[in-house]
Amino acid sequence: MVNLTIDGRAIQAKPGSTILEVAKENGIFIPFLCYHPALKPIGSCRICVVDVKPGPPRPIPACATTVTEGMEVVTDTPRLAALRQELMKLVLINHALECPICDKGGECELQNMTHALGVSTVDLEAVKLPPNPDYVSQMVERHPDRCVTCGRCVRVCRDRVGAMAINFTLRGYFTELASGAQPLDCEFCGSCIDICPVGALINKQFKYRARAWDMVKTEIACPFCGGGCTYQVHTKDGKILRVVNEDSVLLCGRGRFGWPVVEADDRLKTPLIKENGNFREASWDEALDLVAAKLTETVEAGGAKAVYGVGSPRATNEANYVFQKFFREGLATNQLDNPGRYNYARAIKAMAEVFGTPKLEGLEIGSALVPPYHSPLVVKEAATGSGFPFVLGKLADLPKADLVLVVGTDVTPESPPLGWGLMEAKDNPNFRLVMANSRKTKFDRYAHLSVRYKPGSERVLIAGLIKFFLADNPDWVPAIKAAGLDEFKDSIKITPKEITTKTGVEEATLKELAALLAQAKAPAIVFGSEVMSQDKGQQTALALADLFLLVGQPDAPGSALYPVAEKNNSRGVSEVGVLPDMGPGYMPVEGTDAGPTLEEMLDLLEHDDAAAPKALYLLGGDLLRSLPHRSRTKKLLKKVPFIVVQDAFLTDTAKLADVVLPVAVHAEQEGTFISSTGQLGLINQALPTNGVRPDWQIISQLGTKMGFALKSVSPKAIFKELAKKMPLWAGLAPKLSAPCPEIKAMVSGKFVPFEVDISLPGRRPYTLIIGKSLQHSGSFTTHHPGGTLAVTGEAFLKINPEDAQSLELAPGEVVKVISSYGEIAAPVKLTADVPAGVVFLPEHFAAPAANNLTLNSNLVRVTIQKG
Amino acid sequence: MIIPLLKGLATTLKMAFSKPITLQYPEEKREVSQRWRGHPELTINDDGGRRCVACTLCMVVCPSNAIKAIVADEAEDHGKYPVAFTIDLQRCIFCGFCQEACPKGAIKLNRLYELAQYDKKLLILDIEGATQSKSQLRLGDWL
Ligand code: SF4
Ligand code: SF4
Ligand code: SF4
Ligand code: SF4
Ligand code: SF4
Ligand code: FES
Repeated sequence: MVNLTIDGRAIQAKPGSTILEVAKENGIFIPFLCYHPALKPIGSCRICVVDVKPGPPRPIPACATTVTEGMEVVTDTPRLAALRQELMKLVLINHALECPICDKGGECELQNMTHALGVSTVDLEAVKLPPNPDYVSQMVERHPDRCVTCGRCVRVCRDRVGAMAINFTLRGYFTELASGAQPLDCEFCGSCIDICPVGALINKQFKYRARAWDMVKTEIACPFCGGGCTYQVHTKDGKILRVVNEDSVLLCGRGRFGWPVVEADDRLKTPLIKENGNFREASWDEALDLVAAKLTETVEAGGAKAVYGVGSPRATNEANYVFQKFFREGLATNQLDNPGRYNYARAIKAMAEVFGTPKLEGLEIGSALVPPYHSPLVVKEAATGSGFPFVLGKLADLPKADLVLVVGTDVTPESPPLGWGLMEAKDNPNFRLVMANSRKTKFDRYAHLSVRYKPGSERVLIAGLIKFFLADNPDWVPAIKAAGLDEFKDSIKITPKEITTKTGVEEATLKELAALLAQAKAPAIVFGSEVMSQDKGQQTALALADLFLLVGQPDAPGSALYPVAEKNNSRGVSEVGVLPDMGPGYMPVEGTDAGPTLEEMLDLLEHDDAAAPKALYLLGGDLLRSLPHRSRTKKLLKKVPFIVVQDAFLTDTAKLADVVLPVAVHAEQEGTFISSTGQLGLINQALPTNGVRPDWQIISQLGTKMGFALKSVSPKAIFKELAKKMPLWAGLAPKLSAPCPEIKAMVSGKFVPFEVDISLPGRRPYTLIIGKSLQHSGSFTTHHPGGTLAVTGEAFLKINPEDAQSLELAPGEVVKVISSYGEIAAPVKLTADVPAGVVFLPEHFAAPAANNLTLNSNLVRVTIQKG
Repeated sequence: MIIPLLKGLATTLKMAFSKPITLQYPEEKREVSQRWRGHPELTINDDGGRRCVACTLCMVVCPSNAIKAIVADEAEDHGKYPVAFTIDLQRCIFCGFCQEACPKGAIKLNRLYELAQYDKKLLILDIEGATQSKSQLRLGDWL
């Protein structure tokens, strides 16, 4: 601790903090303009000047000066006040002063500062500059005449978002914010809007809709990706007007601009019942009675196992928990799974094989009353835990890693917060980033090493990497207690030549990566859906888990596995037990009667097996749109006599249903999510439900009608019941991440050999990768009037310009993409981001539906023909 | 005895033939001071357009919540203007704070002072009714 005085007050401060930070913490006012807690200080506006002893005889900026022992700081003298006033006057020369129509009015730092510093007139003059407003760019409106050139937007975009989309042009008094004399062409995250102290950057969605003081603020967890951001929705008269992250400013475009999904034109408002092939609107009672009767009938005719349930990575933990309770306690079966089976659940299986399932000891149920959404389990001093959750990384730790290996994910579209973590990690000069992907993604620009392998060759690549690593470090002892290294070593038979030909990666590159891994003190591995969604995604995840077992340093913060859970609650739906073989907290189900997985259930339907379900209960999740091989899924779902779907929209899957129950989304409900990195996010209800119902309520009402006592009365009560059964969540509370850091992790693992092969059958000339695109999350963001739909409204087939040339394709031209399983038409976009021979298509859109082409993977060989 | 009586008669006669100090209200209205604080109204420019930019400061400052529901929209030139503006004269206490707060001189207290109505709704002015010289309350058809 550093001892200093500010204005005569003795203060203790953390070493390394700045005078401004210490003053803020202690409630001492120092005005500032260019400083922002989310950014590194640059000390450019000088409004924050203070007198410091010992120090130079002139005032120095508080935001950029770190505290030292014995420092005496004076924040307010007549000279300082005069200096600040003078600086403010310079800022205010020709400032637009259109506060009445400026959306920032009322929350404008310049207004507040002018007031606080008592500047009433500006007795300076300068030439008037043209206002140059930008009304053309999407999402963001720019008013350079209100800009105070603090540079916050430029810095957040460059240093935190990593988009580098805006910069200053000209110099001095003429300095102007610009994006190369063009409308903005960026990620449209809107972070610059919220970091701007003035109204120079305006949120177009919000423009003129309310004044800052008019709105009610409610904090919710973001319902789009698995990033786990929490933010405040600002509402007025029961409508969302904007979304703001008041803590760290950063949000992605979907989170900030995607909320109009609540007001989408095609939201379902009443339950629908299918009669003679057509839907008709029905009352809640009628629809629920029908579902209850049908399910009871099915159970009576074919036994409880005739009903199969699919949980939802979008629904809350509470809803999914009640859902699994409906099956496990109501029907007494394990006939349920979640769509993460095709991606995230594969990683769970693989990691559980290597590191074991979670086992925790030393927890007890606390005696004290706990606040809502806090785990009732208390972590005792000697608590220990083992199993794969203890090698999963937390978001706040990622910047502490000194080497991050990113495999098979385009970080920013898939999980923007991991991207922000990488940008922060970059502040450490020893940090190394390795991007391994078949195509070029955003973070390649920051990578120290880019590994461009052939699609589908990940396992060969990792086998090669492990081989070279062990060859270079023959006496390597893994930091994690690991069994079976010798056998594992022998199981990797592949030759260096094979590695190079199969992956297309030079031996030298892999050796360099192996050397980096060997040196790293805190290596982390991030992997995403581009590997997990492949048919052998589980094997690849296994390979990565083995790699981490070999090189991981779990005692070093940040050294962890970061599998990307794609949707807001992809991780939660599995953790609360919507799995056929594991209950809440990954507890294996008793006995041997684990149910079929979603994949197996579809196979049963395909073979018309007697065990195939006769009724399906789908908790959201458009299976037709998200599962590979769409035509097969459709054919199989049509075989099921009774389907009930809970969804906010009449999705393609819902169209096959017999009853559709409309649900509350976004801020219309209350509940929790678990983010990709284990953080508990709490949604507080901010909007009325307008006739639809939250998922948990529908399930529980249905349960009551079927005579099950699910005892689910409110999300709070459900959470309490759920959390009691979840040792993994001990000590968990909103914004904290499981597992609790107080639990001593006793991680050990065993090396499990994996299949070193490439599964990409067929002879067609191009390999299609189906993945994520910026601005979208599943199909949830594709409903009009979606906020970000304006930015990315359709899918383009990304193709290398060389390939386009040989096929004689012009940009935007619509081509036929043909695989052995289907055919679609899509416009092309020429980009060198995809190597020759590889094409890329986003998965989100109804047309072209990329999964028409696939069999069992997100990779497929295709032929491309001119329109 | 008779003198005081005559004096009284003289006064009566004098008054009967001089200009009366009472007004034949409501047929006749009292002329009020130029600085009278009457009904708040939205002023207009020379071109007849409202000056208001929907900043809602008048609404914020109004101590009796008489100004309600100011809804803004974006004009073609990207400017801000109100599409809805409600002034509830029943609540107004004629303090003139709104006039003082308005940065655009867009709301002023005019010299109308009458508030008696058979229908209360007439006293809740919408944006048209609140606009200068369009006020129904000027028409006198309810007198
Ligand atoms: S930026 Fe602030 S000071 Fe400038 S016009 Fe807007 S509200 Fe007023
Ligand atoms: S919206 Fe995001 S990406 Fe675009 S300029 Fe602003 S900060 Fe940069
Ligand atoms: S636009 Fe805003 S954040 Fe950017 S430099 Fe200007 S005032 Fe600062
Ligand atoms: S979509 Fe993901 S990254 Fe974007 S705001 Fe929501 S949680 Fe954060
Ligand atoms: S203060 Fe003036 S400009 Fe602002 S809303 Fe009221 S009348 Fe309109
Ligand atoms: S806030 Fe310190 S120099 Fe700008």
